[in-house]
Amino acid sequence: MTMLLARRFGQMLLIMAFASLILFAIFDTDEFKKKIAVAELGGFAVSALSDDAYQQWLADKGLDVPFYQRYVNWIGDVLRGDLGQSFEKSTDVGPLLADRLWNTAVLAFWVFAFMIPLALVTGVLAGMREGSITDRSLSFVSVFTTSIPEIATAILLTVFLALGLGWLPAKAAMTQGFDPWQLVLPVLTLVLYGFGYIARMTRASMAEVMTSNYIRTAVLKGIPYRQVILGHALRNALIAPFTVIVLQLNWLLSGVVVVEVFFEYDGFGKLLLEAALFGDIYVVQAATLVAVIVACTSQIISDVGYTVLNPRIRFA
Amino acid sequence: MTERVHPLVTQAGEQLASGKMERRAFLRTVTLLGVSSAAAYGMAGRILGENLIDPALAQDAPTPKHGGILRVGMQVQKMEDPATYSWVEMSNQTRHILEHLAVTGPDNVTRPMLAESWEPSDDLRVWTFNLRRDVKWHNGDAFVADHVRWNVERWADPALGSANTGLSAVAPLLEDVDGEKRLRADAIEVVDDHTIRFHLSKPVLSVPEDLYNYPTALLHPSFTPPFSANPIGTGPFTLVELAVGDRCILRRVTETTDGQPFAYWGGDVYLDGIDYYNFDEDNQLVAFAGDDVDTIYEFGIEQYEFARALPGTILEARTCQTLCCRMQISQPPFDDIRVRQAIVKATDNTTYKDLVFQGSGDVAWNHHVAPVHPEYFELPPLERDIEGAKALLAEAGYADGLEITIDVGNTDGPWHQTVCEILRDQLQDVGIRLNINVMPPSRYWEIWDSTPFGATAWTHRPLGTMILSLGYRSGVPWNETHFASPEFDAALDDAEATFDVEERRAKMEAVERLLQDAVVMVQPVYRPVFTIINDRVHGLEAHPTQYHQFNKVWLDA
Repeated sequence: MTMLLARRFGQMLLIMAFASLILFAIFDTDEFKKKIAVAELGGFAVSALSDDAYQQWLADKGLDVPFYQRYVNWIGDVLRGDLGQSFEKSTDVGPLLADRLWNTAVLAFWVFAFMIPLALVTGVLAGMREGSITDRSLSFVSVFTTSIPEIATAILLTVFLALGLGWLPAKAAMTQGFDPWQLVLPVLTLVLYGFGYIARMTRASMAEVMTSNYIRTAVLKGIPYRQVILGHALRNALIAPFTVIVLQLNWLLSGVVVVEVFFEYDGFGKLLLEAALFGDIYVVQAATLVAVIVACTSQIISDVGYTVLNPRIRFA
Repeated sequence: MTERVHPLVTQAGEQLASGKMERRAFLRTVTLLGVSSAAAYGMAGRILGENLIDPALAQDAPTPKHGGILRVGMQVQKMEDPATYSWVEMSNQTRHILEHLAVTGPDNVTRPMLAESWEPSDDLRVWTFNLRRDVKWHNGDAFVADHVRWNVERWADPALGSANTGLSAVAPLLEDVDGEKRLRADAIEVVDDHTIRFHLSKPVLSVPEDLYNYPTALLHPSFTPPFSANPIGTGPFTLVELAVGDRCILRRVTETTDGQPFAYWGGDVYLDGIDYYNFDEDNQLVAFAGDDVDTIYEFGIEQYEFARALPGTILEARTCQTLCCRMQISQPPFDDIRVRQAIVKATDNTTYKDLVFQGSGDVAWNHHVAPVHPEYFELPPLERDIEGAKALLAEAGYADGLEITIDVGNTDGPWHQTVCEILRDQLQDVGIRLNINVMPPSRYWEIWDSTPFGATAWTHRPLGTMILSLGYRSGVPWNETHFASPEFDAALDDAEATFDVEERRAKMEAVERLLQDAVVMVQPVYRPVFTIINDRVHGLEAHPTQYHQFNKVWLDA
């Protein structure tokens, strides 16, 4: 177990080092530096700048240093806990990222809080009797909601619930401090989009379990149906969805971009998009680190969890 | 202030009386020449026998209420160095803190601001500004002429790269030294603490209007970038919090930084504060509909129907904001004038306004002077000529057709793309295949002055000559077409030196024609500007350049 964790952790560091090196190399081109200059000083100022003045500007920004050297410096800074400065927002990346991650964590928490129970219940109910009316209608709903892209769901919900009926705020910019009502539409959008997938996985897994011999034996032994489901079928049926759910963490981190940008919710996804468009390299780098950590951690959790849940798998 | 009236003011009065000059043009001209706007309105009223009241003063008529915070939906940007600002949004965030010598109102009339009055010499080469004596900086310093000098010297520093050096009021203060533009030693004369004089190397009419261009806000000499770290200004508000991409919180200044009471020179200001909340342009109207904000920066034509369905008042300004599908004439294939002529001949400029703005806006004729400009000379409309275009193409060696690509960044909204699509369809008829390369707005601003063919947005400026000086003079930094014509420069000089609007308009014929005949762009439409306010907001008017002037805005709770 310790070996597995250590190996995974090592892998994670390797991926982080590699991904950030590639980003540094990509962002080192002259066009990219010019892009930052234009974003910083305005297109006019850059075109009017003399070559010397431009070089001076690069030196002031620390962009005249070769990228491998900047990379090494950056790693040193990161190890000391300094993630650098945002070009666009003129603030330290660390607090900015922490703030945005917290917002996304709040969003993600509520999404999972609603999505997982909903998906599991739907999936189990549908999978209990494959082909029944319940199964058909639940499956239809989950396929339907999942197949509508988030942006379309977001627009539809906004038009009906916010602009039409006026029940909910249209945006989640939280201009007057945190307002739970503003979170409703983003959460609803993500839940509608995400739950169907997990529900389908749960259903498939449940349906498979229900056809297995030990369930048939249990039913034939005369154990009450309810107990067969709760006591025998459920644990085995949840192994596959568990993996999917943990990996959804990863999906959420990138999946929130559309929702956060649409609803103007200041989270990780919106930060990432803005930074990428602006060429805000240190923000992009820091966000990449976070994304890698989340991806690797969710992978580890899912692997470990899978082994714990499934007695047939043992650590090598 | 001396009682001397500029001789040209009398002349303008005669023109107004004889009907040769419109009232609006009269007001603009005489206020430009140093007559206070209240006096100008009175003068126009006497001449025309009407009872005219300055709309800015008229706003005070219903009893405004004090207090409240105006919430505005706009992109919240960095506030680094006001002299190099490149976006109107950041200047709006600053406009309530920093002020200018002059101010151009929503009615396009320029009035004194930190200058009490101004006085040009008869040849329009020497401009004397008399500064207000009651202006204080937020740190308690008195505002004096030396501060103005410091600002202008700063703009002139080539290392700063301020767009102000291209202004028709500032460029004649500079001279060429070793290939760089530097301030002439005798350009600025500080007469006394409250009088400053600019010695221009050529006559310029629009000095006060230029001094309200958004990068010309006056900074305190203690300034070091970023402005947001130490926002000292003369305005009624100061910056309390700035989070780029999130919010910009402005509050009334009641005390100077050294603890003395601060009295704003500009009379009553009603708002306690202004909160800018970051909403991207597409989201602003929805944020307004959801009552997140009281007003917004603007909404585009594609949202007009939606806006009409909302409670509130739509405000509209007619402008010379436009889109120039401009060709860089130093790059192939646009270095061949026949290619450019073919493109222009294939285009029907009249169709765009109806297709893009449902009939609002004005038709443009590829010379970048708009009907809202006082000196606009109406050239005969360009006729679409498909056969002529084909012939020119064949002559240029593209008998089998030509494939070109236009870069468009939708920097001012998706209507840019619509314009390019109409252009594509029209060019198709002569065998030119136009690819439309759509890119994010920030990407476009990286290449706007280097791409061979690009759709660049130009904002409104009060006078046509101001735009032409900024964008089409030989070698000026914003000259994205690389158009260089001594003949055009001379004609423009001549027009800019001409006070008489009729005469100037006559001279603009040559200027407009020279630019139009050089076929540097397809510029088909001037767009209207829309914003919206809810019922609480009073005293807010749409400004043709989206400049936020909220000193007289008040809220009804």
